[in-house]
Amino acid sequence: MFRNYIRIAWRNLLKRKVFTAINILGLAIGFGSSILIYLFLSYHLSFDQFHNNPDRIYRMVTEEHRDLIDYEASVPPAFSKAFRENYEYAEKVAKVVVQYGSIIDTETNGDIRKFKEDVAFIEEDFFKIFNFPLLDGSNNISLSEPNTAVITEEFAEKMFGSTLVVGKTFVLENDKAIKITGVLQNLPSTTFLKEQIFVSFVNLEDFFEFAASESWGGITSNLQCYSLLKPNQNVESIEDALLALPKEHRPDSKNKHVYKLQPLSDMHFNPLYGGIDPVLLWVFGIIGAFLLAIACINFINISTAQAFYRSKEIGVRKVLGSFKAHLFWQFLSETFVISLFAVMLGILFAALFLPSLNNLFELELSIQSLLTIEFFGFLLLVLASVAFLSGSYPGILMSRIVPVLALKGKLSHSDTGGNTTRKVLVVAQFAISIALIAATLIISRQIEYATNSDLGFDKESIVMVEVPVDLEPIQYEALKDRLQRIPNVENITFCLSSPGGSENNWGTSIKYNNRPENEEFSIQAKIGDEHFIETFDLTLVAGRNFFKSDSITEVVVNEKFGEKVGVTSPDELLGKTIEVNGASIKATIVGVVGDFHDVSFAEEIQPAFIAGNPNWYGEIGLKINRVNTKETLEKIEQHWSEAFSGYIFDYRFLDERVADEYEAEQRYLSLSKVFSALAILIGCLGLYGLILFFVGLRTKEIGIRKVLGSNVANILALFTMDFFKLILIAGILATPIAWYLMEQWLQGYAYRTEIHWWIFALAIVSIMVITLITISYQTLKVAVTSPVKSLRTE
Amino acid sequence: MLLQLHNVFKWVNSGGQRIFLLKDINLQVQQGEFISIMGPSGSGKSTLLNVIGMLDGFDEGEYQFLDESVHNLKEKHRANLYKEYIGFVFQSYHLLDELTVKENLEMPLLYKKFKGSERKAMVADMLDRFNIVGKKDLFPAQLSGGQQQLVGIARALISNPKLILADEPTGNLNSKQGEEIMGLFKQLNEEGVTIIQVTHSEKNADYGSRIINLLDGRMI
Repeated sequence: MFRNYIRIAWRNLLKRKVFTAINILGLAIGFGSSILIYLFLSYHLSFDQFHNNPDRIYRMVTEEHRDLIDYEASVPPAFSKAFRENYEYAEKVAKVVVQYGSIIDTETNGDIRKFKEDVAFIEEDFFKIFNFPLLDGSNNISLSEPNTAVITEEFAEKMFGSTLVVGKTFVLENDKAIKITGVLQNLPSTTFLKEQIFVSFVNLEDFFEFAASESWGGITSNLQCYSLLKPNQNVESIEDALLALPKEHRPDSKNKHVYKLQPLSDMHFNPLYGGIDPVLLWVFGIIGAFLLAIACINFINISTAQAFYRSKEIGVRKVLGSFKAHLFWQFLSETFVISLFAVMLGILFAALFLPSLNNLFELELSIQSLLTIEFFGFLLLVLASVAFLSGSYPGILMSRIVPVLALKGKLSHSDTGGNTTRKVLVVAQFAISIALIAATLIISRQIEYATNSDLGFDKESIVMVEVPVDLEPIQYEALKDRLQRIPNVENITFCLSSPGGSENNWGTSIKYNNRPENEEFSIQAKIGDEHFIETFDLTLVAGRNFFKSDSITEVVVNEKFGEKVGVTSPDELLGKTIEVNGASIKATIVGVVGDFHDVSFAEEIQPAFIAGNPNWYGEIGLKINRVNTKETLEKIEQHWSEAFSGYIFDYRFLDERVADEYEAEQRYLSLSKVFSALAILIGCLGLYGLILFFVGLRTKEIGIRKVLGSNVANILALFTMDFFKLILIAGILATPIAWYLMEQWLQGYAYRTEIHWWIFALAIVSIMVITLITISYQTLKVAVTSPVKSLRTE
Repeated sequence: MLLQLHNVFKWVNSGGQRIFLLKDINLQVQQGEFISIMGPSGSGKSTLLNVIGMLDGFDEGEYQFLDESVHNLKEKHRANLYKEYIGFVFQSYHLLDELTVKENLEMPLLYKKFKGSERKAMVADMLDRFNIVGKKDLFPAQLSGGQQQLVGIARALISNPKLILADEPTGNLNSKQGEEIMGLFKQLNEEGVTIIQVTHSEKNADYGSRIINLLDGRMI
């Protein structure tokens, strides 16, 4: 019986090639997207699942309570030792401090090579907490000796072209010779750990004194602290016990620390502490389901429309002894055959588009990783549910057909049923497409708004280069002088970091105008020389720029600062004193600049001050004239390399850096573009199938209408009007839902674009245009056919 | 007695008026009869045939088929009854285009849970009996009308029905093919199969043993 079903299914599919192709293609796109989404989700869900006691591993994190709460995935440097020695909770505690962009030199047979790499300084127990084994599979790693390191297999290959590197040395930051004592197996891509070089913690004090110290004074995001708890610990009571630490060590700080234990499994999914937003995964999953749903809808629509053509077969079968159930299962097996082909094609699509997905998310997912039991389970589940969902309704409809009418050919189209259902489903398809188009428009408008609005500073044509080592003031002057002479360099400033794209909110313990109490807010320290304001074109709204000086005696603040201390006019701020970091900076306010967006539009502008201090300069900002940019950059590199021999020249344009702030949004945009395109594509396939059917059904009617004098335009309108009505209904349904959801998304931005009604109107109109294009070919074809012909075929 | 209709009425309501499709039909059919139903278009021939074939219901009256009261049976039970005992032959053959001759013949057996080997034997038997072994792998579109109707009749006969209902079986055929088909019916009837046919042609009606004339849903 089943073989018979399949055989008939096969012949039926061959007979209606166009419809079969439409169905298979639509479902294949749905399946392909689901497979990619499955890959993406399973990648994220498998993060750090390979450690030995994942449920006992925690990261120590800090909530900083000021006027707002900041969440830092870090703790003060002294925390690690205190937690290990003064408390009984942990089996192992280890901290890691990463130095970004460290310079590494290797020498192989006289061939000296330079690398710029992130280096992790780790306390020894790190590799006892986590499962990152050596090449031989053991975790027998000792980094207690200074000047020792372990590196990954991958990096060993990169550095020395070999993995037999134990005993070899490399030079760190043009300073220390470090001996390699072990080679780790390559780190899986699904781990929080991104660094490839692990150096003994003892060495850290030469490079980052604060992080190496036993200080409670502050937090650096370069530091992370992990702990393997003893079995059966109560995390809440540990956190309660830790409340004593800030009381003891930071009693007077306005920045109240609360230390928390973040489970390993939370690390990848908690955006507060730098994880990805799980909402993204949900959105992904739901959109995958939507795409499949749209493809199923196509299938149902086309099949129910076809029930009319198949009514004779069904009538005959019923008369010859078939029961409803037989017909139902027969139809379901046809659906299954179609779905099976679609799955195979879908896997092909997934394989073809995987590189683009990897590119977009900077991942290295491979199609081979699909060869798991789970995936086949997933595929089977999707296959079965799609076949059932899309096959059962048409199956029921067909099995209901009354044989007498069917055999007499007296069955009218409305008797095969499904008309209303079909309309509802088409409306649902249109609604999904309209919502996706509107979302795409809104996301791109927000990005546009964020990147093209006036940020309060000039980001065009500014090159940022690094200052890798501290220079004496005289060396600065010399370098600056040389850079200044390059034609097309218009302005130069040495600074800690540029406005935009920085995260240096280390200014705390602020006192304004000798008020007795510290202020509650923290402040952005924009350290830069006297050309800072000019180079980045900040607007002075009151007072003057600060004068050049060896230490900070004068500062310029932004308007937000005035707002925070409760001063309405910028002029009132002039001449007042300001203390930052417990009086380590004490200066007079000499000027006020207009607010500028130092961080992305997701966050409020914060108070900031600008002041010069040569000891803290980390970057050079060069405003250049964009003619002969290449030549100008080469000259800059030349002078830079002379000043900083032994370091690797790297530059970044400031506008790119600002745009990077919106990397996540750019991804959302690319995704929503792709998903809307797919939704529209699948929807159009379905529409094409439907119109093919409707045109076939109404050939005679069109013939009669033409004989009676209607023209091509009338006939085109006849078909399009039906669809336009449905699109309008879909628009009316989709608009409030999409509006609400996108409003929610925009709530994540302190500065955001507005949602206008015309965005939805535009989405609706574009769907109308697309629909018109999709259906016009078939419609026009029948509209221009001579009525004699169409009436004769009857 | 094979079947008996007693005071059967069938109507539709249209615009407040009751239009009778069948009016007070009384009919007895004995095993082995060959009956022709005749009458002008719209006189209710096909409706009567469908009522007898249980494909269509009626509004009033009684219908006994092999001692079962059809009018009291549930839909599913009734379907079982006609599937078991009645074979249908159609004017436009109604073979399934996607199936070969052999598969068309096999189809009714599939729904009756015969084993594969049994089905094969029965199909082979039927192909033999109708002399169409050479055509078994052809599709309906590759056959002439007469041959298609031959397959249609073979399909109706394959599960050994007690009654064959034929709705203008020669209506789409030329006269020579028509004569062959009617000859076949005659022969089947002589072998013991009860046949009820609807026809327009006096000539075809003469093959039968009894003629029922209908006019406006009424037997005359």
